[in-house]
Parts: sequence; C-alpha cells; structure tokens
Amino acid sequence: MPALTTNAVGSYPKPEYLAQARTQFSQGKIDRAELDKLERKATEYWIRSQEQIGLDVLVHGEMERGDMVAYFAGEPGGNPIGGMKLGGLVRSYGNRYYHKPIIVDRLTWPGPMTVEMWRYAQSLTDRPVKGMLTGAYTMVEWSFDDYYPSRREAVLDMAPIIRREVEELVKAGAKYIQIDEPAIHTRPNEDFDLAVEAMYLTVDGIDAEFHTHICYGEVEKIYPDMLRLPVKQIHLAFMNTDFEYLELMQQTPFDSGKDLGVGVTDIHTRFIEDVEIVKDGIRRTLKLFPPERLWIYPDCGLKTRTTDEAEAKLQVMVDAVRDIKRELEIE
Amino acid sequence: MQTTVVGNYPKVPNRPRPARLRQAINRRDRGEITSEELTRIEDEVTVEVIGEQVDAGLDIVTDGQVRWDDDQTYVMRRLGGVEIGSLERYLDTNTYYRRPEVTGPVSWREPILVRDYRFAAENSAKPIKAIITGPYTLAALSLDKHYGSREKLALALAEELRNEVQALAEAGAPIIQVNDPVIVFQKEDIEIFSRALRRMLNGVQMETAVYTWFGSAAGILPALLDLPVHTIGIDFVSGRDNWEAIKSVHFDKKLGAGIVDGRNTRIESIEQIAESVRRLSESVSPADIYVNPSCGLEYLPRETAFEKLKRMVEGARKAQPVAA
Repeated sequence: MPALTTNAVGSYPKPEYLAQARTQFSQGKIDRAELDKLERKATEYWIRSQEQIGLDVLVHGEMERGDMVAYFAGEPGGNPIGGMKLGGLVRSYGNRYYHKPIIVDRLTWPGPMTVEMWRYAQSLTDRPVKGMLTGAYTMVEWSFDDYYPSRREAVLDMAPIIRREVEELVKAGAKYIQIDEPAIHTRPNEDFDLAVEAMYLTVDGIDAEFHTHICYGEVEKIYPDMLRLPVKQIHLAFMNTDFEYLELMQQTPFDSGKDLGVGVTDIHTRFIEDVEIVKDGIRRTLKLFPPERLWIYPDCGLKTRTTDEAEAKLQVMVDAVRDIKRELEIE
Repeated sequence: MQTTVVGNYPKVPNRPRPARLRQAINRRDRGEITSEELTRIEDEVTVEVIGEQVDAGLDIVTDGQVRWDDDQTYVMRRLGGVEIGSLERYLDTNTYYRRPEVTGPVSWREPILVRDYRFAAENSAKPIKAIITGPYTLAALSLDKHYGSREKLALALAEELRNEVQALAEAGAPIIQVNDPVIVFQKEDIEIFSRALRRMLNGVQMETAVYTWFGSAAGILPALLDLPVHTIGIDFVSGRDNWEAIKSVHFDKKLGAGIVDGRNTRIESIEQIAESVRRLSESVSPADIYVNPSCGLEYLPRETAFEKLKRMVEGARKAQPVAA
C-alpha cells in the first residue's frame, strides 16, 4: 500500500430506508431477501462513495450490523454465534439503549457470519475491502455471561470462533482483516495478557495482514503493552485526544515492525474539521513515523454521524493526505 | 439487617411492556411533547420503579434515579461554572456519560434533588434514601479548566454541595447516601476524598452513607471507617479482596454489602446470597448490614434486576436467625 494509505474504521450511517427495513424485518413485515436487497443497495452506495472520495482501502460499511457485538449474537438478519443470544434492553448513554448479548451456553461457530457481505462488497470494487470482525475479548467483555465460570474461559472459547471466521474471510480472498478490540483496556492489569493471548489464538499463522482498532478509554494504561498484540497495525483515536498519544510514543517508541493507524477526524462531533487542522495532526505524527508506516483514518466508526457529515469527514481526511503527500513529494 | 439498592434502577422495561420513558424523551427531543409532559412521564415511571423495589421486598428504596442521564451530569449541570462536554466511557463499563467541564468557580444556585426526593417520598410505601454523587468522583470525572488541581475542585464541589445536602435534610430525607466510587480506582487520593466528604457532610444530623463500587477498598478501608458517616458501601463482587479486607479491620460502622452482581445477568441462588450474608456476619453484626447489589442496577435489563432483588431479599431473610 502507498505511504499514508487512507482507510476508514468500519461503520457508516445507514440510510433511512434501511433503518426502516431493519425494523420491519424484526417485526416480520418483510422477508430476508428484501432486507438483503436493501443492505446490498446501501453497501454499494458506500463503496461508490468511498471510491469517489478517494480512499485507498475500503470498508463495507456494516450496513447489515446494528452493533459490533450484538450482530454476532442474534441481531435480526445475522447468523449468531452458537451459545449467544440477545438479552433485554440496557442503557448505553443518554436515551440510547441496546439489547446486550448474553452467553447462555458453550460457544460454537455457526458457519460464516461475515463472508457473504464481504464478498459482495469486494465484487463491487478493484480496491481492497477489509474484513471486519470484533475480537474475542471485546465480544465477551461486552456481553453478559450466564454460562462460563470465568471470563478467561469464555474468552478462550470465543477466540477459535473468531479465528474460524478469519480463515473463511481469507479463503474468500480478504488480504486485510481488522479485528476490533475497543474493550481491551477495560481491565489493563487484570486482563491484558488474556487479551493478547486471545489475539494470538485468533490470528497466529494465518496469511493476511491484521489490524486492530482500539478506541477511547485509557489507552495510556496499555501502552506500550499493546505492542505485544500480534498484528501488523494498531489504530488509535488520535483526534479526540488532540494527539496526546504521541507523547507516549515519544517516551517509548512504537514497535518498528508495526504500522500505526492514525485517527485524524473526531467522530463524536458534527462539525467538519478544517483541513489545516487535519494536516497539522498528520504532520505532528510524521515527526515520529515515516509516512510509509502510517495509515490515515477517522477516529472510529462513523455510524453515529449523518451521511453528509460522514462523507465530509472522509473528504477532509483525503484532502489533507493529498496535500501532505504533495509537500513530501511522494506519489 | 435491612435490604436496599445502591442507586439507579433500569429506566425502561422490555416487551411487551412499553418503553414509555424512552419514547417520551424522543418525543420531547422532536418537539412533539413539552418538558412538562416529559416530567409527568418521569413521575409516573418513578412511581413504577419505586413500586417494583417495594414489591421485591426491599426495606429502603430510592427514586431509581429515573431522571438522571448519568451520575455526573444530573448534579453538575445545575451548578454554576459547569458546562456539559464530550461523551466518555464510564469507568470500566460499556456505558458512557457526558463529561462535565468546569469553566469557572462552581456554585450551588438552587436545590437540585429536593423536588425528586419529595415526590418519591410521597409516592413510596417504604423509606426513600436520597442519593447524591460525591465530590471526589464528580471532580475526577470532570474536565477541570478552572481550578488547576483535583483537590481544589473536589473541595469546592464539597463546599457547594453541602447546600444540597442541607436542603435534602430539611426536606426530611432519613438517609443521605453519597455515591463516590472513583476512589477505589485512585486510592492515592484518599486524603482528598476524605477532606471533601467531611466538608460536604459537615453538620449533617441524619443518617449518612458513602458507597463505592467496581473495585477493592483494601488499603483505604481504615480511612473510610474514620469518616463521619454511618455506612460504608463496598462491592464484594468486583472487589474480590474486599472479603479479606473487612476481616483485617475493626468494622465499627454499618456495612453496605454489595453481594449481588449488578453487572451480570446470571441470577444468584438464594442459598448463595444467604451464604454471603453469613460470611459477612462474621465481621459485622447482622443488625449493621445493609444487603444490596454491588452497584446501581442500570447495567441489567429491568426484569433481571427485579428478579435479582427478589432473590436478594429472600437470601437475606434466610441468613437471619428466625425472629422470636
């Protein structure tokens, strides 16, 4: 991939027609084929949009997923992991609620969960589309557990399931696979070794380029420990914290064998960052990293923004990268 | 021995029961109903969740903190010198709160919780305890752009919130509970924590409690026992070594014993609960134990929370010697 490869973290906003169709599907008013058609239509929109904006590597946009854990645990339309189901409503924040997954039995792989949609998205474009999965630690940490005696046992049973899905994606042709672990810093002292072990069990020996995305929370508590994760690239939300992670990396250098994914636009804000601010963030990062070791992203998934906001945030990122490349005289 | 809760109660039930509060807030946000109409729905839901706690058999209940967006903003947004900022992860949960930003001197301007307390008390068959978030936790989870140190901010908040505590006392709250969990994550700040709490509760006559959750109080337990409060609330589910810690001190206060997991759906058996209570009775006189969940109940679906409370009450009863 070129220096300063542009990419996105995972999710995009769903169009209104799809949001409605998901509700109708869960009420039994439309069938799977109809929902499928609309998911594909929305996915195609985002593939074209990313191409037009000019991203180098694409994501499929997660039109078929509501939540990154619940999708694998019984969201309508998904193929849930055996032993998981959706529980009752739990509040996330403000007036937002979600059906929190519950582990109710021994975990088993239910057959491919994400391959068909990946294959469809990749069929639409010549640019690489990433395979997107949620890591074993986050899958367990963000679920209730009525079955396993300990979190460790649940995580160690979850990892082979995610690995199996990775293998299927690779078989289908995915070259880049992102395994999100946003919960990885939940208990840095108690559980970090477990999270690293789970990542090994998930990716070790498989021929693909693995990325992980870690967002918000106390990233400083797992740095430099996070460098033990057996992935080629770690992506962090830099913009939300005004690039203060760079100080950590100044004190303890980032692993020279890994690439860094840099979030350069804040996904929690509605306003669009000025291109100069985005460029400034990239320049600051370039003081510590050569351009060929950086990939440029938004901070996190963009699903909570409007379509216009999401596209504008991607555009400002791509524009900033283009300017910086010109400055550096790299093609 | 009495049974109670730590604070919040799930705001919306699951199907087929309607999620009225959620719908009402959405409608208010879209301008379809007025804030007064939303308040009426909040009142109704408050009555409902008080009723559920009473039905579960609790001795002391709360208003469920139905109106609270989160533990920080509900108090902070009513103080002068505070704005509400970015969405942040709440401690080690997968839930979020809006981080208060302190942009000037904090100031108490009007009662914040008194109307809620009065309404709850008028509509409850059991005593209502008033809940307020502690000054240390509020300081730790806010973005300070004014005071320059957590200590100064915590003490300023304590000074101002003292007015609130007094207002609650005048309104007749029999128990005032300060929820101040963050100290178990930042034990090195125990001195600041204690000074702030003393200042906030200075001169208060009624029963008081300070509750922590999500961690171990080992190491700071002597300091907590030194505070001028009646009850210390401890989470025995997340903080496994609290079981040992309470044996190593002379526990001469009431214990808020968080022994039912407020963060997982797995239902404890009545016997498990009874056994936990018996174990604690070796360190604290049963008469001085409040049996409660390990934290607020909002991390659970409403029906699971109710089920857990019912079991908890039965387990606590089972643990007690048969009354004469």
